[in-house]
Amino acid sequence: MPIDYIPILAFLIFALMFAVGTIAMSSIVGTKKTTPEKMMPYECGVDPIGSARRRFPVKFFIIAVLFIIFDIEAVFLYPWAVIFKDLKVFGFIEMGIFILILFVGLIYAWKKGALEWE
Amino acid sequence: MTAFFFFPIAIVVLISASLVIFFRNPVHSALSLLLTFFSLAGLYILLNAQFVAAIQVIVYAGAIMVLFLFVIMLLNLDKVKKERERHPLQKAFGILIASLLLVVLGSVIASGILYGTKGIYTVEKVAAIGNTKAIAGLLFTDWILPFEITSILLLAAIVGAIVLSKKEL
Amino acid sequence: MVPISYYLILSAVLFTIGVIGVLVRRNAIIIFMCIELMLNAVNLSFVAISKHLDSLDGQIFVIFVMTVAAAEVAVGLAIIINLFRNKETINIDEVNIMKW
Repeated sequence: MPIDYIPILAFLIFALMFAVGTIAMSSIVGTKKTTPEKMMPYECGVDPIGSARRRFPVKFFIIAVLFIIFDIEAVFLYPWAVIFKDLKVFGFIEMGIFILILFVGLIYAWKKGALEWE
Repeated sequence: MTAFFFFPIAIVVLISASLVIFFRNPVHSALSLLLTFFSLAGLYILLNAQFVAAIQVIVYAGAIMVLFLFVIMLLNLDKVKKERERHPLQKAFGILIASLLLVVLGSVIASGILYGTKGIYTVEKVAAIGNTKAIAGLLFTDWILPFEITSILLLAAIVGAIVLSKKEL
Repeated sequence: MVPISYYLILSAVLFTIGVIGVLVRRNAIIIFMCIELMLNAVNLSFVAISKHLDSLDGQIFVIFVMTVAAAEVAVGLAIIINLFRNKETINIDEVNIMKW
């Protein structure tokens, strides 16, 4: 029932108010005297070289793709786990086929070196 | 009671969805789309579809948007140059055609031809079984073939994504 | 109670916003986001009609739509990355030949 989710809504509103309130308060109350040293990522330590916005290596993309695919698998596993006892062996076999086919994909990714991170 | 929540959420959905196409910076568009997805999850809860709301947050807000933001950072599109128009009337025609589509969709809804045979899963019955359990009961029996084919689709997605981006691997 | 037509109108407007984005914007990634927006508009219709007809088939269909969307995003963004590697642009007006 939707009424059960009102605490979550209250939590979201509270979190939003807290985040917005903190940023707003610090920008209203705080002083703003910027010096080049203060604007650096680290006031003491190594000076940063170049821009912080560099291109990411494409490996991150492969990992994120694999994450999405197996996230979907988890989405299917969850309702299956809820009803597993009622489905008995039939449910086990159908989920076995599903996971086996996805496992082929994992092995492919492995053989292609998509999981390597030297 | 639902109406009290429906209208604020609907307004948030419409504003954040419009901002997706108005922002110049792709990162801002992506964050606005994220807000749209979260608000849609709220609408699903109002519609008594708790499981769909949960996977909306997990899959769309959690996984798909992460991939979008990754690619935006991967390509370093922060300082993308202004989109220049190849055809001067492109924008006007795009909006015209889309509003015609809205007229068609609206007239279908207004004509009230939405009908269908009522199913057996009333709100009370689903609440008694549990939303996830009711969905699972159908998904793994009546919908077993689409479910198994889904795994082949995901396999194809893995292979496709790796083949397309493996040049630097 | 909110009538089902409100949800359907919201879904239609959301779909139209997606169509406007696809037709007006020239940035491939934003066009892709607008396609996701259209898929979500359809999902909203599915869930609303599923409640209206006391059936769960609409919700199950939404799960499959999300699966297809995830697969589509994985492959589509890989294509965009390849596009950027080859032409250093993701403005689709500058990408108007299939091979060269």
